[in-house]
Amino acid sequence: METSDKKPTETPAAESRFTVSPITLLADLWMGRLIRFGGLGVVLAVFGMLAFLVLQVFPLFVGARVEALPALTVPASAVAFGEDEYGELPYVVLADGTIHFQRGSDGAKVQEWSPALVGRTVTAVRSYPRAGLVFLGLSDGAVLEAKVSYRATFDAGGKRALQPIVTPLEPVQVGSPGLPCLGVWNAKGAQSRLLVVRQESAGRPKLSAVRITERKGLGGKARVTASAPFAVAPELSDLEQVLLPSTADSLLVVTGTGEVRAYSDDGVGMPLLQVFRPFADAADARISAAGLVFGHVSVVLVGQTGVHQVWSIYPQAQPDGRSLRRWGKIHDPEKLPGPAVGIFAAEGNKCYLVGAGGELQLRNMTTDTLRWQGPAPAGRVAQVAFAGNYDRFTALTVDGKLHRWKLEDHHPDSSWGAFFGKIWYEGATEPAYTWQSSSGSDEFEAKYSLVPLFYGTVKGTFYALLFALPIALTAAVYVSQFLRPEYRQIVKPVMEVMASLPSVVLGFLAGLWLAPLVDPHLVSLFCALGVLTPAALGAGFLWSALPQPWRRQVRPGMEFVWLLPFIALCCWLAWQAGPSIEAAFFTVKDTASGAPLADFREWWRQTTGMSYDSRNCLVVGFVMGFAVIPIIFTIAEDALSNVPQSLISGSLALGASRWQTVWSVVIPTAISGIVSAVMIGFGRAIGETMIVVMATGNTAVMEFNPFSGMRTLSANIAVELPEAAAGHTHFRALFLGACCLFLLTFVINTLAEVLRQRLRERYKVV
Amino acid sequence: MTATMNPNPSRIQVRPATERDGRRDYISIRDYGFWYGQKQALEGISLDIPERQVVAFIGPSGCGKSTLLRNLNRMNDLVDGIRHVGDITIKGRSIYDPGLEVISLRRRVGMVFQKSNPFPKSIYENVVFALRVMGVRDRSILDEACETSLRKAALWDEVKDRLQDSALGLSGGQMQRLCIARAIANRPEILLMDEPCSALDPIATGKIEELIHELKEQFTIVIVTHSMQQAARVSDRTAFFYLGKQIEYDTTEKIFMNPSQAQTEAYISGRFG
Repeated sequence: METSDKKPTETPAAESRFTVSPITLLADLWMGRLIRFGGLGVVLAVFGMLAFLVLQVFPLFVGARVEALPALTVPASAVAFGEDEYGELPYVVLADGTIHFQRGSDGAKVQEWSPALVGRTVTAVRSYPRAGLVFLGLSDGAVLEAKVSYRATFDAGGKRALQPIVTPLEPVQVGSPGLPCLGVWNAKGAQSRLLVVRQESAGRPKLSAVRITERKGLGGKARVTASAPFAVAPELSDLEQVLLPSTADSLLVVTGTGEVRAYSDDGVGMPLLQVFRPFADAADARISAAGLVFGHVSVVLVGQTGVHQVWSIYPQAQPDGRSLRRWGKIHDPEKLPGPAVGIFAAEGNKCYLVGAGGELQLRNMTTDTLRWQGPAPAGRVAQVAFAGNYDRFTALTVDGKLHRWKLEDHHPDSSWGAFFGKIWYEGATEPAYTWQSSSGSDEFEAKYSLVPLFYGTVKGTFYALLFALPIALTAAVYVSQFLRPEYRQIVKPVMEVMASLPSVVLGFLAGLWLAPLVDPHLVSLFCALGVLTPAALGAGFLWSALPQPWRRQVRPGMEFVWLLPFIALCCWLAWQAGPSIEAAFFTVKDTASGAPLADFREWWRQTTGMSYDSRNCLVVGFVMGFAVIPIIFTIAEDALSNVPQSLISGSLALGASRWQTVWSVVIPTAISGIVSAVMIGFGRAIGETMIVVMATGNTAVMEFNPFSGMRTLSANIAVELPEAAAGHTHFRALFLGACCLFLLTFVINTLAEVLRQRLRERYKVV
Repeated sequence: MTATMNPNPSRIQVRPATERDGRRDYISIRDYGFWYGQKQALEGISLDIPERQVVAFIGPSGCGKSTLLRNLNRMNDLVDGIRHVGDITIKGRSIYDPGLEVISLRRRVGMVFQKSNPFPKSIYENVVFALRVMGVRDRSILDEACETSLRKAALWDEVKDRLQDSALGLSGGQMQRLCIARAIANRPEILLMDEPCSALDPIATGKIEELIHELKEQFTIVIVTHSMQQAARVSDRTAFFYLGKQIEYDTTEKIFMNPSQAQTEAYISGRFG
C-alpha cells in the first residue's frame, strides 16, 4: 500500500520539475509587450513630431479664402466710401459732398452730413477710409477736409451703438482760384502733409500742391502752417492718373501715352526725377491701371493687354558712378486676362487686388503669387478698401452697390518662392535670399528665405567636420591600433567625459574667450595648425629612418613619448614665427598714416574684399569640432577595436606592416562603424545650437568666407522663437526651418544607414 | 610491431621518414626559453628543423607548442611583457637580429591559423594580399600568383569562376585552403600551421593533409596539431612538448613506434593529455 501511495505523489513532483512557473511566463509575456510598446512608441514619437511640424507649417501654403457677403445698396451718386474699423457703419460720399451713413447689417440709413458751402459746389471727392478722412475739392480750387470719427455709446440695456461724428476743417486754397478741382489727393508724411489738386485750364491738366506742416509746441496747441500753393509738373500735357505716396515726398503721374513721370520733393518744389515707359516694347504702350502697394515705394502697372509689371525705387548705379534712388522694374508677374480696371493695395502687407477681364485677383507683389481669384462685381469698381487687420475688403461700384467680402489670409507673404527662392524685395538692388524677420518699422516687410540659414548650417557643419573628422578618425585609429592598452584605458574615458561637456559652456568659451584670443594671433595659429601634420609625418619619417636597435629601445605603442614633444616643439616654433610671416606676407598700408601695417585681418579685407568678423566660422568650427570629436572618436574607436584580432594577425603574418594592416584590413572591416561615427558627428554638428548662437554673430549671410559669421537653422529657431507670435507667419516660418532641419537630418541619416548596411554586408566578418 | 606501441594501429598509419636533400638545421632552436610576463611558457627548447620536411609539434593543451610556433615568425611581438632567452636561427641568421625587420621575417615565414581568417575581401584580393603589401602592382603578376597559389592549395577548380566574390561565402574547408593559398602566394620558405584542421570535418581535413604533402616539396612546414593521427600521417619529424618542455624530438616513426620517453608513450597512447 505504501508503494502505491507513494507513486501518485512522486509523479506530479517529477512532472513539476519540467513545468514552467507562471511568473516566468507572465514576465516573458509582459516584458515582450513592454518592449514592443517602447519600440512602437519611439516610431510614433518620431512621426508624431514630424506630423506636428507639418501641421504647424501647413497653413503657410494655403492661399487666401474669400467669401462674398451681401452687398449694400447705397445712393447711386456715391463716388467714395469709408467705414469704421469693423464695417458696422460704413459711409458713402455722394458727388455733392454729402456723407451718408448706413448700417452695415441691414443698410438702413443712420445719419447724413452735408458740407456747408457758400456759393461753391463739390467737384471732386476723395476718401481715405483707413484715416477716416474725406477731401472735397471745391469749384473754386479750394479743398475742404472732413474727419469722420465714431463714438461708441451704450444704452440702458448695455447695447452698443456707434455714433458717427464728422468734423470739417476750414477749406484750404490749393489750386488756382476760379478753376474747379477735378481731383484731390492727400498724403501725410513724417514731417508734413501734402495736398494736391488737379485742375484743368485750356485743356491742359494743372497740378498744384500745398505743404502743410504741423508743429507741436511744448504742451501748447499744434501750430499749423500751410505753404503757398505751388505748381507741380507744369510741363504736363495730359494726365491719366496721379499716385501720391504716403511718404509725401514724391508724386507719380501716369500719362495717357504710357509714361510714368516721377517727381520728387527737393525742399523747394517738386522737380521731375525720372520718366519711364514700362510698356514701351508693347504694341499699345498705354497703361490701363497703376497703383501703389503698401509701403508706397512700389507701383504696380498693368498695360492694355494685361501685361503686368512692378516698379520700385531702389539705389541704382548711375553712369557717373554714384548710386541714386531711382525707379526700376523689380517684378514681372504673370499676365492678367485683360486691361486692369484698378489696382487696390491692401493695408499692412504687399497684397493688392486687381480687377481685370471680369474677375478679381488678390496677388502678392513681393512673391508674385496669386492668392485668390473670383468674379468681379457687375458695376465698375470705383474704390476698394481693405480692413486694417486684413480680414475684409469692400468695393464701391458706380451702380450704387457696396460689395463686401470676408477675407481669410493669415500668411499673405508666404509661398515656396518666399522661403526657398530668390526674391527681389523693395529697396534691394537685386533678387536675393534674405532672412530678416523683424525691424523697427510697421511698413517693414519680413523676409523669410530659409536658404541663408541652410547655407549657414552647411557652412558651420563643414568647418566643424573639417576640423573634427581628421582629428577624431586618426585619433581613433591610433588609440585602437597603436597605443598601448593601458593608455587607451585612460584616453577613452577622458574623451567620453569630453562628450558630455554642455555645449553652452563650449559656446561661452568660444565666444568670450577663444574668439578674442585667436583674433590677434591668427597667423601664428594657422602656422601652428599647418605645421601639425607635416610635423607628425616628419616625426614618423625620422622614426623609421632610425636604426632598428635604437627603435627597439622604445616599446611598440610608446612612440608618442618622444613624438609629442617633437610636435609640440614644431608647433611652438611655428607659432613664434607667426608675426614674422604676417609681416612678410600680410602687410597692408595703414589708411590713416600710410605706414605699412602687418595685419592679416586688414589684409584679408582688402585682398579678398570679404568681411572679417572676430566671431567667425573658424572659431565655431574649432569649438563645434571640439564638441563633435568625442562622439566620432568613441564610436569609430569602438568599431576599430572590434575588428577581430585574427584578421590583424593574419595580415601581420603575411608580412604587412602595421600601417598596411590598419589601412587594408582594419579600416575596411570597420568601415560601417566609421561611417556611423561620421554620420552621428554630422548629425550633432548640424543640429548644434548653443555654440553657434554664442560664438557667431548670427548674421544670415551667404558667403563661404571662413572669417565671417553665419546663422544656422537651429540657432535661428533658438534666437527667434521666443519673440515670434504664435500662429504668425514668422512663427510658422521658424517651424518650417525646424521641419527642413528634421528632413535634412532624416534624409542624411537614412542615406548613411543604407550606406552603412551595404558596407556592413560587404565587409562583414564571419 | 605496432600492436604494443600503438593503442589503435588501424587508425594511425606512420609514414616512413623520407630524407630529402637540404639543410638539416634549416631552422635551429637553441636553449630557447620564453616568458609571458612572470609565467614561463617555454623552457630549454633545442631542436633543428630540416629543410623541406614537415615537423609536427604535439602535446596537451598549454604545453607551449603554439607559443613556440608563433615565435618562429615573431607573432608574439605585440603581446605585452614577453621575454626570451636562447636563440632561434633560420638559415643561420637569428630572427632576433637587430638588423632584421620583423616584416621581412614574416614574408619568409608564412603562417596559417587555427581558425580560418579570410579578410572581408574578394577571393582574389585575399590571395594577392601579401603581394599587394609588398608593393606589387602589375596585374599579370598578381593574376599569375593568384592562380598558382590557388592551384597549389587545390582550390583553383572550385573558385576559378568566382574570384571576385567575397571570400566569406566559401565553406569552412575552402576558407582554410584559401588561407593556405594566401600564405604561399608570396612564396615564403617556411610555412607555420597552427592546428589548421581543428575546425574542419574529416573530408576537408583529408584535403588539407594531402595538400601538406604536396607543399613540402617546396616549403619547410611546421605544424601544431592536437590530432596524433594527423601528426603521424603528415609529418616527417615530431616534437612532443609537455608543460613548456621539449620531452622528445625525433622522426615521426620513432616517436609513434618507439618513443624513448615514457611520457611520450603515455601521451600518444591516450593515457593523458
